[in-house]
Order: sequence, then C-alpha cells, then structure tokens
Amino acid sequence: MTVTVEPEVFRFVEFDNAMIAEVGNKLAAQLGIDRPIVVRVDETTPLGRVRATIGDTIEVTVESGAFEDSKRPRRQSEVATTINLGRILLRVRDRLHGGFGEAPLDDDIALAQMAAWETYCAGRLSRLGLRINRQRWLYNFRNRHGFSDKADAAFDAVWAADSLTWVQLEAISDAAVAVPSSA
Amino acid sequence: MADPYKPRTPFAPWDRRQLPGLFDVEESARRIGNYKWAEMKLFETLGGWVATVPELDVKMRLGTHCYHHAWHAELWHKRLPELREMNPDRLTKPANDAMVRFIEALSEPEAAEQTIEKLVGVYRVFIPHFIAAYTFHRNNTSEITDAPTIRSLNFALHDELEDWRDGEMLLQSLIETPAEVDRAAAHQARLEKIMLEAGGIAGPGSIGVE
Amino acid sequence: MRKFFPVEELARDSRFTQINMRQAQADPRTALVGPNAARRAKTNRLTPSRPDASEAARALMHGIFVGEIQALEGAGRTCHDFETATGSNSAAGTETDSVPFALKLDMARQAWDESRHVEISVKLGEWMGAEIGQFAENTVLFEAACSTDPVMRLAGVNRALEGLAIDVFTTMKEFGEVAGDPFLGFCEDWMLADEVTHVKMGSDWLRKVTENDPERRARALEFQSIVDKLFSFGGTRSESSDSPIGLARRFRELAGFTSDEVDEIADVSLAALEDRKAFAAAAMSSSGMSSSGMAADE
Ligand SMILES: [Fe+2]
Ligand SMILES: [Fe+2]
Repeated sequence: MTVTVEPEVFRFVEFDNAMIAEVGNKLAAQLGIDRPIVVRVDETTPLGRVRATIGDTIEVTVESGAFEDSKRPRRQSEVATTINLGRILLRVRDRLHGGFGEAPLDDDIALAQMAAWETYCAGRLSRLGLRINRQRWLYNFRNRHGFSDKADAAFDAVWAADSLTWVQLEAISDAAVAVPSSA
Repeated sequence: MADPYKPRTPFAPWDRRQLPGLFDVEESARRIGNYKWAEMKLFETLGGWVATVPELDVKMRLGTHCYHHAWHAELWHKRLPELREMNPDRLTKPANDAMVRFIEALSEPEAAEQTIEKLVGVYRVFIPHFIAAYTFHRNNTSEITDAPTIRSLNFALHDELEDWRDGEMLLQSLIETPAEVDRAAAHQARLEKIMLEAGGIAGPGSIGVE
Repeated sequence: MRKFFPVEELARDSRFTQINMRQAQADPRTALVGPNAARRAKTNRLTPSRPDASEAARALMHGIFVGEIQALEGAGRTCHDFETATGSNSAAGTETDSVPFALKLDMARQAWDESRHVEISVKLGEWMGAEIGQFAENTVLFEAACSTDPVMRLAGVNRALEGLAIDVFTTMKEFGEVAGDPFLGFCEDWMLADEVTHVKMGSDWLRKVTENDPERRARALEFQSIVDKLFSFGGTRSESSDSPIGLARRFRELAGFTSDEVDEIADVSLAALEDRKAFAAAAMSSSGMSSSGMAADE
C-alpha cells in the first residue's frame, strides 16, 4: 500500500517528502498494514506529537519535532522518522489486527496505559533492529507507574512481549500502577 | 580518677614538637606571599582552560581543582596580616622574573588539541613543585610558633597530593602513543628548565637547597 | 592563552552539536505569532499531566546539562579574563578590566559548584534515558558571559540566567516529587541551594562594584532585564512578537558583541518572523479559517 506525505515541499524545515514516504512504505510492509497511509507533517511547530486516525485511509498527523534531528534543528533525521513513524504504525497495526479492538480512543486512554502501550511498541521496534534507548522508555514507564520493583517487573514483561492484547496490557499496567509510588 | 591538682608536664610524652624553626616571621611571610601569587596564577589558568578542553572529564576536574587553588590563595591571603603584613598585596608577588616566565609558558597552550600540554604543566611540573615547597616549609618551620601556617600547609598539601593523582591519572589515560609521550616529556622539560631557573615556587631555597 | 574566549570556540567532544542564539532565532517555528502562540506556550510547560512529560523532562535535563557546562566555563573565564584589583581599587574593582580578589574566589567556588552540577546532570540524564549530546546545545549562556565588563557577566549570568535556573530547577524538583522519582527531586534540591548562592554572589558584587558608578549599574541592570525577558515565557513566547528581536539585539550589544554580529542577529530573526507571519496570513486566506484553527497544536 502506498504512503503519501504532505506537504510536498517543506518551507520551515528541511525535510524530504520522498524519504518520509520511503520510510513509511518500508514500515507498512514490515508491519503488514494493508491500507493507504497519509502522513501530514505540521511544520509550523517544533513539538513532536504524533497521532493517527484509522479509516479506509490511515491518517497520521506529525508535529515536525518528531522527525527532526534533535542535534540539528530543522533538519530531518531518518532514525527519528523511522522510530516515531514506527511507533504510531505499530499502534495502528495493534488496533487493526493485534487484539486491541477493545482499546479506547487514544484521547481516552489513561497516561499509564499509554506508557505501557508505548513500551510494548518500543520493545518490538528494538527487536526489529532499530536503535532504541531502553532506559528512556523505562523512565517513561516509571513516571506513570511509579518507581518500584513491581513497576520495573511490569516494564520488563511488556518490553519483552510480542503478542499482547489490549486486555492483557491494561491488566499489567493497572496492576503496576496500584502499587504506591513509595514502595 | 587521678588527682587533678598533681603537676603534669606541659608537653605530654608523646608530643615531640620543637621550638626552633628555620624561618622568622618575615621569611615566613615572604614565602607565603609567593605561595599566594603562585596559587592565584594556577587557579586563574585552570579556570581559563575549562572552556578550551573538549574532554568532559578533564573539564570538570579543572573546574573542581580551580577552586582548591583559589582556596589555598585565600588561606595565604588571610595568613599574611597575621604575619605583620597589613597590606597583603605588597607580598603577593612572584619569587622572581623566572617565575613570571614560568607562568607565561605554563598558561600558553590554548588549543583544544593541547590538553596533554595543559595537564603536564600543572600536574607534572607546577603541582609537584608546590608539594615540594609546602613540604619543606611544613617540616622546617617552628612547630610551635608557626603552627597556623603548618595547619594551612597541611590542608593545601592534602589537596595538592589528591589533585596531583587526579591529574596524573588523566594524563596517563590521554597519552596513547609514543609520540604523545615525547610531547608530554618535551613540554615538561621546557617548563622544568624555567622552574630550575626560578629555584622553586618561593625562589632559590624553596626546598632548602640553594 | 587569550583573555576573552569566543563562544564559537567552546571546546566539546564529538558528541556535541552547538547552535548559537542567532541560529536558534532563525527557526521560524519558534517565532510565534497569532492566537496559537499563547496556547502553545502553555502546552510547552513541563507538567506531569503532559502526555509527553517524561520526554520533555529528559530534553530539559539535557538543556540543564549543557547550561551547567557553560556556567562552569563562564565562571572559569571570569577567574582568568580580568586582572586582580590592587591598591585603593582592590575592594571594589572599580575598573572594568579588573575584579576584586574576593570576587575571583567566588567565581572559582562557582566553577566547582558548576562542575558538580555537570556531574549531577550527567547522572540524571543517564537515569532519564538521555544521551550526552543527543540534543543541540544552545550556547546562549556563555554568550551572556562574554562581556569585557565583569559586572555585565554577573548581571546576565548570575542574576538573570541563574535566577531563571532556579525556576527551572523548582519545576523539575516538583515534577520528580509528583512522579515519585527517588533521585530527581533530591538532586534538584541540592542544585537549587547552590544556584541561590550564585544569584546572591551576583547581587552582592553588582552592588559593591558599582557603588560609585550609577551608569555602570544601570547598564548591568538593563542587561539583566533583557536576558530575563528573552528567556522567560513572557518574552520569546509572548504574542508581542516583535520584541524578541529587539531584545536579542540589545542583548548582544550589552554582551559585548561587535555591531556586525548585532545586526546579523536582528536580520536573521526578522526574516524568520516575517516568514512566519506570511505563512500564517497565506494559510488563513486560503482556508478561510480564523487563525486559531490553523496550527494543529494538540
Ligand atoms: Fe549550576
Ligand atoms: Fe550556578
């Protein structure tokens, strides 16, 4: 399936439309996503949020910071593009085919549950060979689940998993969060 | 309990401190003025170099050691008025012209590629000479009349020895090739020759031999 | 070694990439105009409720880390760049090319404190999953420490930037405490104690050194307020979008940059702002939208 990218030409950042499309196509094939994808980059903000809506076409909205080389402002990083597009497309795939049918809309997912889902994505991306900083995701997970041995054990389980369902992920996250942060 | 009114010797049997010392008040003050000047030049140079060294660990050590030497300068600054020098600036001076040239040569390296030279100057030449001069002073001044100087010397010596080890280990970790060994040795020899001319931190007699 | 070290030559290992204030201002995405600006500024603040809170905290920690390096370098340079005042001048350092001995001692002490802050931020960065040099280093703190008048350095760095650092550290401390982070709040608390000391050093010396020179004091206070405005959300992030350029210009004038360098930053910033304004206008007219509907902030 083809990935199209907007805008065609970037004015505020030095991004490459074709490169984003190429990365997207490669990821879509790797992840088995069988619908057209439109990636819309908001180049007016340096923030880095990424969102997707699933219809006949998958629409991905990306703030330019998500594809940016954090060392060189306004330039594109292929690694960041791959990782951040990969994260959102993995979640799209989970919703389409991966037992995440019951998952609420992104906006309705609790921050801790979203951190767990992101961990699940990051762990799988690292096993796909992408350079992922595990500590970064551990810190993110701890921030939402508490700094405790139990939270760390939950993180390890989610990170190593390849076939969780939403119900399973939600249960792991909720159980970890239930531990007081001082424990 | 022993009778508290029984006369005891003023110096306990284990206290072997001696009254005589090599330095009178004036000579002690002169040396301390030289120490203060040299410590100032050292902390200023270390502070200036922080921005010029790319190695992060070295940068942080220089920043830390910069303060140690500033504190030594402050100790000497405070000691001078206690030695009848009410204008500490008057004695805050180099032992001689060679010491001025030594500082110029020491602080000359600036390029980011010259960390070896910077560290050699401080940790293989300057600080070993501080250790020598301070040790000589501590071991030869009157243990009773000049006790305040001895106390400061001991604090300073503790820092100098610790900092020397830090700097020497940084150098050993930075020197990777025979060519770099030569570079380090050449710079050390250049500075050591000027120091030889100066006779030490406090001039000839810094460590007793003229 | 030269007196006065140019910001472009700050020595870094191969992991680091630096950008200066001019380059940062050339990014049209940060030249915020229109009704979205205030909203975006709000979403930029570090709070645990932000969906990307840990990411933002990590990036902020890297910013603190490089800021500490520059604070260390700036304090070190002030030990070196000026003569030690002697004679009648010795207590106050009334000449701009000399500083009192005790001021240098304070700067050396600050160099040690900032060295520890670098050590602390390296450890915290690791803990948060940041990598050294992962983000571009903005060299603006050292730019504020480039003046040939030591009093300007104290006003720009110790009073203004370190004053702002107190706000940042307080935010980080609270962030760590809310999350139950066992290290973040603890470390920030210690760093806060040091920074308060550094601000006080700046205030004490500014008062003492300019006691009999009201003009010099006024210039220093102006520099402080410009740095303050440039870096507080009320300045760069406000809707009074033209002010940051004027501020940046005056910043560089007072920090001792040449008039060419001052002009350059004004030109670049103005171009970025105009670009942004033109884009906003075009987007609004083509979509028929009100400007608040233009940018996808959420
Ligand atoms: Fe600091
Ligand atoms: Fe500070």
